[in-house]
Amino acid sequence: MIRAKKVLTAVALTTALGLAAACAGPSPEAPGTAAELRMTVWTSNEAQLKLLTSIGDAYRADHPEVSKITFESLPFADYNTTLTTQIAGGNAPDLAWMGDLSKDLIASDALVGLTDKLKATDGWQYDDLLGSVTAEFSRDGTLYAYPFSNSPFALYVNTDLLAKAGQKVNPATLTWDQVAAAGAAVHAKTGKAGFVIRDFDYKSWNTLATVWTGWGAAAWSADGKTCTFASPEMEQAFTFLHDAAFKTKAMPGPGTTADFFAGDAAFTIAQVSRASLLTGSFKFGLYALPTGPAGKYAVLGQAGVGVLASSKHQDQAKDFLVYLTNPVNAEKLAQFFPPPRKSLLTGAKLAANNKVLNATQLQTAVVDQLPNAVTLPNHTSPAEIAQKGKTALDAMWRADADIPAVLRSVCTAIEPILAK
Amino acid sequence: MTTTTQPPEQVVVPAAAKARRASGPSFWTTRRRDVLTGYLFILPQLAGVAVFVLLPVGMAIWYSLNDWNVFTGKQTFVGGENYAALADDPQLPKVLLATVIFSGGVVVVNITLGLLIAVLLNRRFRGVTLFRTLFFSPVVVSVVAWTLVWGFLLQDNGGINGLLGAVGIDGPNWLQHGDTAMVSVVITQVIRSVGVNMVLFLAALQGVPEELYEAARIDGASSRSVFARITLPLISPTLLLTVIVTVVGALQSFAQIAVLTGGGPELSTTVLVYYVFQQAFEFNDIGYGSTLALMLLSFVMLLTLLQWQLRRKWVFYED
Amino acid sequence: MRTDARTSSAVAVPRRVRRALLVIALAVLAVPFVVPTIWMVAASVKPLAEIFDAPPSLWTDSPTLSAYAEAFTFQPFARQYVNSVYIAVVVTAITLLVSSLAGYAFARIRFPGANALFLVVLTGLLVPSEVTIVPLFQLFKRAGLINTHWPLILVTSLAAPCVLATFIMRQFFIALPLELEEAARLDGLGRPAIWMRICLPLAKPALSAVAILTFLASWNLYLEPTVYLTSPEMFTLPQALTRFTDAYGGQMWNTQLAAATMTVLPMLIVFVLAQRHFVEGLAHSGLK
Repeated sequence: MIRAKKVLTAVALTTALGLAAACAGPSPEAPGTAAELRMTVWTSNEAQLKLLTSIGDAYRADHPEVSKITFESLPFADYNTTLTTQIAGGNAPDLAWMGDLSKDLIASDALVGLTDKLKATDGWQYDDLLGSVTAEFSRDGTLYAYPFSNSPFALYVNTDLLAKAGQKVNPATLTWDQVAAAGAAVHAKTGKAGFVIRDFDYKSWNTLATVWTGWGAAAWSADGKTCTFASPEMEQAFTFLHDAAFKTKAMPGPGTTADFFAGDAAFTIAQVSRASLLTGSFKFGLYALPTGPAGKYAVLGQAGVGVLASSKHQDQAKDFLVYLTNPVNAEKLAQFFPPPRKSLLTGAKLAANNKVLNATQLQTAVVDQLPNAVTLPNHTSPAEIAQKGKTALDAMWRADADIPAVLRSVCTAIEPILAK
Repeated sequence: MTTTTQPPEQVVVPAAAKARRASGPSFWTTRRRDVLTGYLFILPQLAGVAVFVLLPVGMAIWYSLNDWNVFTGKQTFVGGENYAALADDPQLPKVLLATVIFSGGVVVVNITLGLLIAVLLNRRFRGVTLFRTLFFSPVVVSVVAWTLVWGFLLQDNGGINGLLGAVGIDGPNWLQHGDTAMVSVVITQVIRSVGVNMVLFLAALQGVPEELYEAARIDGASSRSVFARITLPLISPTLLLTVIVTVVGALQSFAQIAVLTGGGPELSTTVLVYYVFQQAFEFNDIGYGSTLALMLLSFVMLLTLLQWQLRRKWVFYED
Repeated sequence: MRTDARTSSAVAVPRRVRRALLVIALAVLAVPFVVPTIWMVAASVKPLAEIFDAPPSLWTDSPTLSAYAEAFTFQPFARQYVNSVYIAVVVTAITLLVSSLAGYAFARIRFPGANALFLVVLTGLLVPSEVTIVPLFQLFKRAGLINTHWPLILVTSLAAPCVLATFIMRQFFIALPLELEEAARLDGLGRPAIWMRICLPLAKPALSAVAILTFLASWNLYLEPTVYLTSPEMFTLPQALTRFTDAYGGQMWNTQLAAATMTVLPMLIVFVLAQRHFVEGLAHSGLK
């Protein structure tokens, strides 16, 4: 349902698409006037906006050539379509946060390369960046967006609910099979849900990468050209999920809502940042993802900030980005977003500003995970791949599904888009 | 409905006007003045349609001949490529099938239910006003709010199945199977909008002269044959209007599909208008989206034309 | 059909029982029409955690109005309310004027090309907004009217909903007895005067039907505001309803339902008060 609403509002925004070309006459700035910068973000959190504004103010104090820096907060659900609309309509921001839109933006040369400038800036310490988190926003060795948020997926446990069902888990050695067994027991005993892959909802299948990576599977090859959905590893992973949904009932079936943070489920897989949704109404644990047949693994969701090529103040925008992400400011941002800098990644440093999670939790669930983490599947044309894949995968969510055949049909559906 | 009736022939020029014309012969005869007034009266409406309907349709035709890159704003003329793509689109046949089932379903259920409720309410008893209000009330609820609520109620552990369970029926997982998902979108759409047709039918039923019923009763006709031979023919102009408006409305239902099913499962509820939206606004393919939209437009036009041509066969006119 | 007058075939069931059966049947039939609205209102006063309780219930032990307050602090909801109301009123007023003029001319004045032009106008009823929305956006952008209420007012009061109104008005005026006008012409009244002084007062039923249908069409617009409006203080209600989401895009369900309730209840109350006029209006509008 959430996606559906997203779609509804999206109509709007992208409609703008059409808009673009003809009417997008750039209004020339009078020479000599100070630049006004605009950066789109999807947070509407006051503390986060306040921090951004204060960094902007500090920058302007030293840079009279920039007269104003606006942080424009767009609704999360419509972020991609709104941003696309603005770009298409000739009204692009100078800087922008980006999630899965990054590949499309990089591929169409809509972003400005950052590496040279960052490396050339004294004290910025480019080598401090973790390799595993920059890959997503790079092309041919050039970084196009600074990965300011790198939030690994973690296992949240409702220990109250487990205790109620007489279940106990050992997080250190926890496997997916144990999670499924405990989840099934909770469901049988209490009627509440076992484990929930947050935001999956039998629609957003890319979130299932938090599971299938544990089986050693991947959606497509590293170069993004070949579909690997039909691999034996993927088949085993989906067999596990299918059993959980239809045989053991460890995972709520399609069409059933269960919100872990409202106390409706024993386990959930969600990003560490979602810990802010915990209300304290039950006791919880936060651990690294369970072990799969392929061993230990980690998955993360990322957000980057980049400079749009269409910006009329590219140089000033780039310069501000360098300032916004320098070691000092990166540390400030780290109180909200898991940072990409090795120097900042310790449990103790992260815990200093975190009200919900302690140093141990952050060390095991964030710091230890990042170096080897893979990102959620991402590709150019994300919306089209998501829709075609979803349509094919719908056949999976029936009790009598032919799992290998469905997975092959996913490849048939998305291969033409991968090849584009 | 008497749309075919021509405006009355110019009436015999009244004496007063004749006198006026005789007294001062000028270019502005009553007739000329009338013609000018006619054009002036329709001008705002005509201009509105020209600027806000016809011009955009022309622009959409131009878009369909082009390819757009939304990120760079580049527009490339591709000729009939988007139209050729229609034939190669593996999803399109399923989409068209879903469109036919959905629109057909909505029209049949809507007209039948609307007529049934109108007939039941077309009598005097205490509470009739209340019922009329109840049946009409969903019309004033916004589509988004209405569909969101139904989305909850139709979940596997939602209100509908809770209700069915209370009477011992194990309800299906409504939105997760193609057939029941289609039933769900049709029914929620009909319940939200049938109130308008109900009122139109009520109005038409109340316009049937009482004497005709009396006469039929004296002839000993059964109530079924009274309905078939008297009521239906007399309200057929309303039927034609409601069918046309309902078909056009069904072909344009977007919000219901988007909120309830997102076109799934497996394209089973992806109707053409939703598909247009996906191509143009989600996949950023304005050219192909416009091509599909124009196809939708030609369907609507064709269907309407067909019904208009067929109306002589079944629509009864008093005059 | 009319059981009131029925005297023959009196054998079967007594009238009282038949009436009771009818009312019961209607009551059952009415359930799906009413329950969603009741559920919406009930859920809007529940704490968030209880909204998804299975099995669903209409009752809560701890009702709260916090969601209603939240609706106003999260967005400029009052402002959005005013936007929706004033746009609907303006649109309705313009539509009444434009459609009664055009409807009268098409019904009563003979001028060359009247039939062809009427068909041209009718196409406005058939073109789906999905076809025109992208080009319209371009046009309004060129005119510098994005993020203003002009596109909503202009398109709604001159294109599709207004075309339906013109159609209704034409049907009504065609059915109006000619003699009234003839008498007026004999008195030396011109067309504009006849339209205003003779025909409009007689057209009250049709005008009220048009007013209600147009108001509802404007009030429920969803696609257009989402396309044309970008800043929250310009939003209209249906668009605002979908914006109650937290920082992760999660829906704030109770706030959303509270806001939805506030948009629906006034309309329902107005409808209940005015429904007699509305039904009578349609009944006498010539739309039959």
